Amino acid sequence: MVLSEDDSDLGAERRVTFARDIFDVEAIKRAAYRLSGYLVVDIQATEHEYHCRLFALDSTNVDAIDALINRFRGEVLDQDLRIRIAKETEAYRNLILSLAFSKTGVTG
Amino acid sequence: MSKFAPLAQFSRGQESGYKLLPFKFDALDEDRWLVTNLVGEFHVLPRQTLENFIHHELSPNAPDYCALKSKHFLIDGDSDVALDLLALKTRTRYQRLANFTGLHLFVITLRCEHSCPYCQVSRQNDDKTQFDMSEEVADRALDLVFHSPSPNIKIEFQGGEPLLNFGRLRQVVLRAKDRNRSKQKNLAFVIATNLAVLSDDVLAFCREHDIHISTSLDGPEDLHNRNRPRPGNDSYQRTIAGIRRVRETLGRDRVSAVMTATAGSLARVREIIDEYVATGFHGIFLRPLSPYGFAVKTKWIAAYDQQAWLRFYFEGLDYIIDLNKRGYPFREFYAATILAKMLTPFQPGFVDLMSPAGIGIGALVYNYDGSVYASDESRMLAEMGDETFRLGTVRDSYEALITSEKLLDPLEQSFAASVPMCVDCAFEPYCGADPVYHHATQRDFVGRKPESGFCSRNIAIFRGLMTRMEADADTRHLFTRWANR
Repeated sequence: MVLSEDDSDLGAERRVTFARDIFDVEAIKRAAYRLSGYLVVDIQATEHEYHCRLFALDSTNVDAIDALINRFRGEVLDQDLRIRIAKETEAYRNLILSLAFSKTGVTG
Repeated sequence: MSKFAPLAQFSRGQESGYKLLPFKFDALDEDRWLVTNLVGEFHVLPRQTLENFIHHELSPNAPDYCALKSKHFLIDGDSDVALDLLALKTRTRYQRLANFTGLHLFVITLRCEHSCPYCQVSRQNDDKTQFDMSEEVADRALDLVFHSPSPNIKIEFQGGEPLLNFGRLRQVVLRAKDRNRSKQKNLAFVIATNLAVLSDDVLAFCREHDIHISTSLDGPEDLHNRNRPRPGNDSYQRTIAGIRRVRETLGRDRVSAVMTATAGSLARVREIIDEYVATGFHGIFLRPLSPYGFAVKTKWIAAYDQQAWLRFYFEGLDYIIDLNKRGYPFREFYAATILAKMLTPFQPGFVDLMSPAGIGIGALVYNYDGSVYASDESRMLAEMGDETFRLGTVRDSYEALITSEKLLDPLEQSFAASVPMCVDCAFEPYCGADPVYHHATQRDFVGRKPESGFCSRNIAIFRGLMTRMEADADTRHLFTRWANR
């Protein structure tokens, strides 16, 4: 997610880093989208890491911001698991759908 | 020799581990996680068990193992029947698609003698006959109805107040039945009416042709009459009298009612349900206002927010559950629709909760002026000047209407299984794509789900139903009954 040049009006900035060899950037993007009602996320990639700058849309409650940042970390983990499940089960998904929409035998 | 094989005999094939089948997960609450699969089967489990399961570390002896296996979240060497069963259930789930349009709404007039400030169809005064459907339009609409491949055809008369154009209604029923002699469809009729102008002639006609009545009852007298003003301020009295007459003439089950919640309803959900019980109904559809028509123009829709609506809904749902436990069978119809998706392999034909979206596929609307719309909400939007979902006119062919880009574009774009956030949402199997709502509120067929009122409202309801089922076995039994009716 790319911010405009001037992000000074977005309130307090927090930073979270994810190791590139552990996390899929897709997981970070999906987590950022899920929480986009609460956070703006700027993702920058370096050789070994993804650096995320997080801006809470409501920056008045510091405790709530901390909880939001933790929620973002948890959401990235969950999205990473979801991507792993989707990859691991892709062949079965395709098989099930092809069986479902062809003559299955079990439907007579 | 032992009468039964040793326990180990039954766990052969599990020793080499298990494979995951496609599923999604989300938090149900702070402690529990929900997993769902392609066909809406679900299981609730603690976080640690979920992680063990995903990492192939769940023991075959763990209590959740058998449940996950029986609900087709995993396969092991013991059985591979899950693949065939999942395919069969998936096929069942999408069965409606092959039939195409079953519900056909005839807006035979926009005239109405009520002047409800929340009217979502932008009714017209009852002396403006230019808002009546002509004979030619009605006949051409019937041509389209009988082109639908669906073996089940329901014609619903809408308005305005359709009984103000009873001559056209009579014509459509008689000619539809005439055409059906050769088509042999399962043909049914419904009149959506406020019952205020119900006559003995209408009742006799309905009895002769087995027509069902759907009416509006917003609650106790003062609330109903405030929501639904008409000359004489007697809408409630006429509705109650109409319900009694319909039951006496057509039978008890031939009339149903829906309510619409306004700001004045929010503190009174128990009274509203009591009114339905007192009137002899065994169910209610707790409906919020929709962002169309006069409800927007008069700002009635802005009079309450979603949190207030959800408090109203869940207070009502809990009251209804309690009613059932006290021996009075009563359903909440929106919950029952969702529960059918959660607890059976079938997809109810409720347009808002279908994916691909129910527009066009589930319903077509023939407007009084000959325009054809993809859903009732589509024509409501058109009355506000937005014709995005106007597919064409009754002079077009069924094929042209159903393959129109105006229908295919929103259907394709909004398909929930491939929409951002829906694609990994565990509640997606119970939800729907609603391109008309998202277009109306965000000017986008897909909609940004983090900001979507449709998304947050439905997910709150899905969670509410799940947690109630998980918390109480009696509620689960009750919900199973609702799902299977």
